Amino acid sequence: MAQTRSSSKLLWDVVAYVIMIGLAIICVFPIIWTFLTSIKVDEDIVTREMVYFPTRFTFDNYVKLWFQSSYPTLVANSLIVTGLTVLICLLTGAIASYSFSRFNFPGRTQLMLGYLVVRMFPAVLMIIPLFIVMRQVGLLDSTVGLAIAYTSFLLPLFVWMLKGFFDSAPKELESAARIDGSTRIGAMLRIVVPIARNGLVATCVFVAIAAWNEYLFALMLTTSQGSRTWPVGLQLMVGEFQLPWGMLAAGGMISILPVVILFAIVQRVMVAGITAGAVKG
Amino acid sequence: MATLSIKGVRKSFGSLEVLKNIDIELEDGGFLVLLGPSGCGKSTLLSIIAGLEPSSGGDVTIGERNVNNVHPKDRNIAMVFQSYALYPTMSVRRNIGFGLEMRKMPTPERDAAVKKAADLLQIEHLLERKPGQLSGGQRQRVAMGRAIVRDPDLFLFDEPLSNLDAKLRVEMRTEIKRLHDRLGTTIVYVTHDQIEAMTLGTKVAVMRNGVIQQFADPQIIYEQPANVFVAAFIGSPTTNFLNGTLEATNGLLSLRHGGGSLDLGGLQQDVGAFVGRPVVAGIRPETLQVAETGVSGTVEVVEPTGPDTMVILNVGGQMLTARLGSRDRPKLGQAMTLSVDARAVNLFDPDSGDRI
Repeated sequence: MAQTRSSSKLLWDVVAYVIMIGLAIICVFPIIWTFLTSIKVDEDIVTREMVYFPTRFTFDNYVKLWFQSSYPTLVANSLIVTGLTVLICLLTGAIASYSFSRFNFPGRTQLMLGYLVVRMFPAVLMIIPLFIVMRQVGLLDSTVGLAIAYTSFLLPLFVWMLKGFFDSAPKELESAARIDGSTRIGAMLRIVVPIARNGLVATCVFVAIAAWNEYLFALMLTTSQGSRTWPVGLQLMVGEFQLPWGMLAAGGMISILPVVILFAIVQRVMVAGITAGAVKG
Repeated sequence: MATLSIKGVRKSFGSLEVLKNIDIELEDGGFLVLLGPSGCGKSTLLSIIAGLEPSSGGDVTIGERNVNNVHPKDRNIAMVFQSYALYPTMSVRRNIGFGLEMRKMPTPERDAAVKKAADLLQIEHLLERKPGQLSGGQRQRVAMGRAIVRDPDLFLFDEPLSNLDAKLRVEMRTEIKRLHDRLGTTIVYVTHDQIEAMTLGTKVAVMRNGVIQQFADPQIIYEQPANVFVAAFIGSPTTNFLNGTLEATNGLLSLRHGGGSLDLGGLQQDVGAFVGRPVVAGIRPETLQVAETGVSGTVEVVEPTGPDTMVILNVGGQMLTARLGSRDRPKLGQAMTLSVDARAVNLFDPDSGDRI
């Protein structure tokens, strides 16, 4: 009996490992392939026979991309747009989610649901109205305009996520702070925000990654080099008569660097934040 | 230090009325205990006194000042919460000094005040720790330190001992009483534990469904409960209620019940109007003694607790609990007679439940 159980457990372990290794390969292979492509010479990229490993290593693609194209401007624009989006979400979303978490005002549930409704429609549906609005207020083709557009669909995510973290901070702490001499906003800033710090960081990282990688809105709402972000810029490098695979792959590798660095820095805080929010109380 | 006056305070959540016309007057330096079962509105009343919850009507006056529209931070009160509500990201030192920091007290004076409070509560060695590194009893002391450091007009305690184990609870109860004796600050204390209420309070308000059932000295509440609810709530084991008819023979009162007649000579109440009518007699278990004459019945349950033996007697179909000495160990099914001290008996109107 015991033997049957142990062999059945072994079988399940093997199956589980096979599935997980398979999934890991599916996830990691494109990144490895992109990296390998980025360090190949052109002759190894466009070939009759598939060349898996570069015959010659080169960083030419990176050098060309960085020094002979507008890629640094694209990255800078992306950084500005991402930073602005996170800042707007942080300033408005933190207060909004605190209100949703703490106050019982008329229409509270409806407003929360309204925030979700925005997420239910495909992004394409929002682009044309947003395009018209941005053009009318003169924010078309600007980093600020793009950041505001991103906020329109990232703020609901921010508010919903952060509300969970605020909910898990005991209300009695604020009551204690208010009796100790704080105002409501003071109690929020001095007591609740430090407690929900991990959640705040986790939420900001989610928003930052979404804004950093966004393509569709950036394509529609930016037209010039001055405000274009890296996903659009990379795509526009594909011309009618040229397909610079090496440079595109190098651009892809550079663009995931900030995300990887961000994750590496905030990984522990973020995991703690996510689990703290998941397990209430 | 200050007096506390609560006049006609009401509180409703939508159509649900949780506090109905609460009136309380507490003298300067008094210790008021709000006692009642869960959901009776005692914590809501405390929140209204603290200013954390607005009332739906009525007045709260601390000292000479009406504080209805005063922010909690300006009421000069301090509160100890059930969960202690220590700021988890701050050290014990900063937790205790936070109220003074908010009032912009200079650091040297603040440090001195924190040290004095820590000395008083014997927690100086914990000042640099975070709340997460403290035991339940230590957190409790820090929470009290945070309250006393500000020298407030009024202390509010919201079930501060209910998260502690039985031994620590008794120790902290003594500590709070000692603190009150030493500081003399007016205190409002919420609990559902009647032992805490009886040992700590100079005044006790027993609450039920948002209504104060009785507001009096603890001894009065114990000896002359205002109604059946108060009689049942105060005391452990709970008061026995014996249903019967009040009779008067040659001027001597007695209670005719299913198991016989109980002599009520020496009764402290004026019950003339109820002669010949059904009444409920409230008899404390500790006033019953083994005797030759009195209430007779058969022993149903015997529960030795160490210092006492609880005996449940079946008296004509009604159960009567007696707290007897540890040496009294009757056998199950044995016939037993208990004497009743009529001076300690309270008679209640069976219709209204009020003391006659």
